[in-house]
Amino acid sequence: MLTLTSPVETPLHRLRAGVKLAALALFTFALFWTRSPLWLGVALGLVIAVYLTGGTIFARHGARMLRPLWPFIAVIALWHLWQDDLSGGAVVLLRMVAAVAAANLVTMTTRLSDMITVLERLARPLSPLLPPRRLALAIALVIRFIPVLSERAAQLSLAYRARSGRAPGWRLFAPVALAALDDAECVAQALRARGGAG
Amino acid sequence: MTRSTAADDDGIVLTDASVTLTGRPVLHNLSLHLHQQRIGIIGRNGSGKSTLMRLMAGLIAPDRGTVRVEGDDPTRARKKMLSHLGILFQNPDHQILFPTVDEELAFGLMQMGAPKSDAQAQVTAHLVRHGRSHWRGVSVATLSQGQRHWLCLQAVLLMQPRTILLDEPLAGLDLPTQTRLARAFAALPQRLITITHDPASLTGCDRVIWLDGGSVAADGPPAQVLPLFQAEMQRLGGLDADADLAG
Repeated sequence: MLTLTSPVETPLHRLRAGVKLAALALFTFALFWTRSPLWLGVALGLVIAVYLTGGTIFARHGARMLRPLWPFIAVIALWHLWQDDLSGGAVVLLRMVAAVAAANLVTMTTRLSDMITVLERLARPLSPLLPPRRLALAIALVIRFIPVLSERAAQLSLAYRARSGRAPGWRLFAPVALAALDDAECVAQALRARGGAG
Repeated sequence: MTRSTAADDDGIVLTDASVTLTGRPVLHNLSLHLHQQRIGIIGRNGSGKSTLMRLMAGLIAPDRGTVRVEGDDPTRARKKMLSHLGILFQNPDHQILFPTVDEELAFGLMQMGAPKSDAQAQVTAHLVRHGRSHWRGVSVATLSQGQRHWLCLQAVLLMQPRTILLDEPLAGLDLPTQTRLARAFAALPQRLITITHDPASLTGCDRVIWLDGGSVAADGPPAQVLPLFQAEMQRLGGLDADADLAG
């Protein structure tokens, strides 16, 4: 999430995180409420227009962030072509692309710390079960250790390939899991050394 | 060190402390009073150095005997321990808990009871004082290894503990980074306890304790202990005894 925040400053960066998240929730709800391809097309056009207010570099970056959707788009399109249900396929595709693009837009224009502040506020009713400070700590730890663990996995993969001609694939699962547990033990000590999670 | 006789609740006092980890005795009946400003703990891999560090920091409890830091039990008085003692772990990636520089620095202050805004103001002032105001909000993943070490040290220093435990503080760093960090350590007003297997980094200490097999092999000024240690390491290096497994 840290790297997803766009360095290009847009007017949307200045909006409050809570407002953006509420708008995103409403927008997504509306997408699932309507079944008309026309209205969904208008909604997608609206999202594209908002992207363009951030300039072409920002909009192009936004388009690149949709790339992971391609396999899904291909499968859904082929299925509906085979079923000869063009309008049904258009509804599903427009809805999916508009929803993901809108969610990406919020991610790209909201700093992580603001997002966590909103989450903490929303989770306040849960505070007897889950203290908000602990939730914030948990989120921060996840974000902190994703790059650390993926580096660890890359190192183990190199160590495997250094002694084998093949890529390790699933064989890496157990060593990476054990290394993660090992790291977790050390991190727990470091946390305890600085006053613990309480 | 001018202060040779110190009050009992000054510094770290171990009384007959023993530790057994997964059925294996690691430390045997250690009795030490650590009150000098610069203390080195030296020993081979597996000599119990790191266990001793965790014991002093209250991260593990002794099976027998007692440990007192400034008169408090480090496993119980956790909140007090924050101002008594800080630890710099060997691997910064095991110590840094937060994704950004300022969150990492502010965490300890908030743990000591500072409100969030105060903690953030202190962090900003600290970064400015060290000419690193542009580090605010920077992702820790983008920092170099030396920069991460520096960040870990600052996170500890901001909490102003009276003693800092350093676990192999210079291992694996390039020479300019080593020199820079060593200079930063030398200038600190805190009591420093350095744990290492490298005798060269302990020549400036007031006291060196050589730990071997979980017991004290020698204890005294570096000029006395380090030559003994080096002679023994030379001797062991000459033997081909590395095939023995720890039982």
